[in-house]
Amino acid sequence: MKANTGKIIDVDLSRGAITIDELPEDYYRKYIGGSGLAAKIFWERGNFDADPLSPEAMLLFTNGPFAGLKLSGVSRHSTAGRSPLTGGWGDSSCGGYFAPELRYAGYDGLLITGKAENPSLLLIEDDTVKILDAAEYWGKSASDVNGALKERFGKAYRTLVIGPAGENLVKYSVILNEGHHATGRAGFGAVMGSKNLKAIVIKASKKEMELADPEKVEALRKDLNPRIKEAVASNVLHETGTAGNLIGKMYEGDVPIKNWTSNFWEEAAEALTGSTLTETYLTRAGSCAFCGIACKRVVEVKEGPWAVPEGPGPEYETIVAFGSLIGSIDLAATCKAGRVCNDLGIDTISAGATIAWAMEAFEKGDLTSNDTDGIELKWADLDTVINVVLPKIAAREGKFGNLLAEGSAAAAKKLGKGSDYTVHAKGLEAPMHDPRGGGHGLALTYAVGARGACHVQDPMMFAEWGARYYPEIGFEYELEPMTDENKAEAAATMVAIGALENSSCFCQFADAEVTIPDWIELFNTVPGYGWDADEMLRAGRRVFYLKRLINFRFGRTADDDKLTKRMLEPARDGEPEGIEINFEGMKARFYELMKIDPVKAIPLKDVLEEHGMGEEAGVVW
Amino acid sequence: MEYWKDANEPIEAFVKLFEKGFEDSDMSGGLKKVNQLIWFDYTQDGPDCSFWVDCRGGELKTGPGKPDDEPDLTMSLSADDAHRSWSNKLNPVMAITRKKIRVKGSATGLLKLAPKLKKVAVLYAETLKELGKDDIIL
Repeated sequence: MKANTGKIIDVDLSRGAITIDELPEDYYRKYIGGSGLAAKIFWERGNFDADPLSPEAMLLFTNGPFAGLKLSGVSRHSTAGRSPLTGGWGDSSCGGYFAPELRYAGYDGLLITGKAENPSLLLIEDDTVKILDAAEYWGKSASDVNGALKERFGKAYRTLVIGPAGENLVKYSVILNEGHHATGRAGFGAVMGSKNLKAIVIKASKKEMELADPEKVEALRKDLNPRIKEAVASNVLHETGTAGNLIGKMYEGDVPIKNWTSNFWEEAAEALTGSTLTETYLTRAGSCAFCGIACKRVVEVKEGPWAVPEGPGPEYETIVAFGSLIGSIDLAATCKAGRVCNDLGIDTISAGATIAWAMEAFEKGDLTSNDTDGIELKWADLDTVINVVLPKIAAREGKFGNLLAEGSAAAAKKLGKGSDYTVHAKGLEAPMHDPRGGGHGLALTYAVGARGACHVQDPMMFAEWGARYYPEIGFEYELEPMTDENKAEAAATMVAIGALENSSCFCQFADAEVTIPDWIELFNTVPGYGWDADEMLRAGRRVFYLKRLINFRFGRTADDDKLTKRMLEPARDGEPEGIEINFEGMKARFYELMKIDPVKAIPLKDVLEEHGMGEEAGVVW
Repeated sequence: MEYWKDANEPIEAFVKLFEKGFEDSDMSGGLKKVNQLIWFDYTQDGPDCSFWVDCRGGELKTGPGKPDDEPDLTMSLSADDAHRSWSNKLNPVMAITRKKIRVKGSATGLLKLAPKLKKVAVLYAETLKELGKDDIIL
């Protein structure tokens, strides 16, 4: 086996047992790595009846086959398992510096079950893997613990840490690499917290990996790295971050405002866009390992109520979630909110969305001060959000903290009101891209995605922007965002490409420059899978299908492939005003193209067999 | 070329479009924020088929050909695609992805013009009318 090591660290925290498991090569050739490999491991070994926060639940960290290469965009890993937020399959991609270190240490992943008796951390130093006491870190912020671990073990050690929110089982808590690269979605920080696992610390003594064809990989790397770095989008990302085109997207109606009640806010466009952040608070750009794009923001707000010292700055999602989504155009406040969320260990998307929902509920009278422990919720009241609500959520303090700690879908259900204006699919709050203006195909992929409403589980959003073009496989659609034309057809390819991206753990900003021949060359020269385009796309579809089978075993059906009422209401203003989304039409066509059963929402038996999934088919059919 | 008889026609129209834009307070405000020297390079349609716009330092200037100074940003495309672009009928992201537009330098400043694209299209249609080119308005 090349590139992949074929080994994962299997940790049972209840027994304090650590073993090194070898995985069959077939797992990799069929499910690639990353989230696909995690899905395969879960399918084979996961407990489908276990509560995601129980000791029996499985928490997986997996690398893609390219991790460790000095290539822009491939230093990501996947975290996966059953999501405590949604109850279904969850996976979350994280950039930073963990993935290469795990590969160099000799592993493709970590499989964690059980629950440690006391707060613990996992230390990995090549062949030595230990469970250590972490009581001194429990209750402390993610950034403090990251700093303390670096001081204790050394700066070269890489960390994965949860904040207080994860310890308190907040359903959308995150796991942070180096204190700020987030495994953001689906609530895996709570899974770590439920296992009394505060941190994972890793260092490899060598920085090497085996490659199937080192000379060809080197040539490809030398071709791809400058191409990725010099691309127009990379240039914009480097200079202005992921919020670089917020201004343009605002005018298209893509940026959600006040819990998705509006699709246009002229003042917010310039106030929140990436170039404004660059001109006001940016001190320098940051990056993940080996990435030439360097889209990360490092910011300092020198004065005012939201002053923050130099450190990690907000991404697009955080800027909108704590900006226009809650009725604010205070960019400094988004810097502060992002920093507070990191320290507490909370997903900024779900947190902002849940708070926006609560603000609307309060305005409507569906949520009263009796429900909020006396807190008056008002749009744009960042003081209350940052200083009161976020800490209450992280601590699950009082009735209100506990309510919002469950996420918006569960909170509305518990309240018995307000479900119509939640914004999620399968319980996962939607990211800050409104399909009504951003592109109707995104509505489809939000709904049919395994983990719920997510814009990075596949590149459909980028395809609708015009930023995906794969003529070698016939993907030449000129998509008009605000129609349903060719959206199901495009989505059928995009879900396969998305599975390749998330299973190889390749950043979507970087891999926009990777052509189909490049992808094939990477898979054939790095791990040596020996694929052609058909086999590569078949692997992508296989991963997509397997996640659907897992969700089916969790009780999910076609009724769960849906969006909330708010998301499908015609926009009230802006560019998309009044335009309806033909959601059911797109969904039916997508099912037809993907050969998905319209009731069970799983692939038909024959299509599973065509994809070499006969055994899996036998379980569900 | 589909829309132009010779290489002079598009340059005349585009320079006039920007001169018109400079007189419009909304457009000129947007252009000043770009703060770059931009060369629009259509030389694939003829060696003289290009023009420049200088938005640096709060002043706005335009002229045919290549600028004397090194441009901060060069946009290379066909004069026909430029026509579609100023008419707001060309998705610039799609055009870049498909290599119909090649960009050299920082495109960040141009993002600030995104809110003005509809206004540009209106001004461009007016420009074409004034030049007697109503027949190519998209």
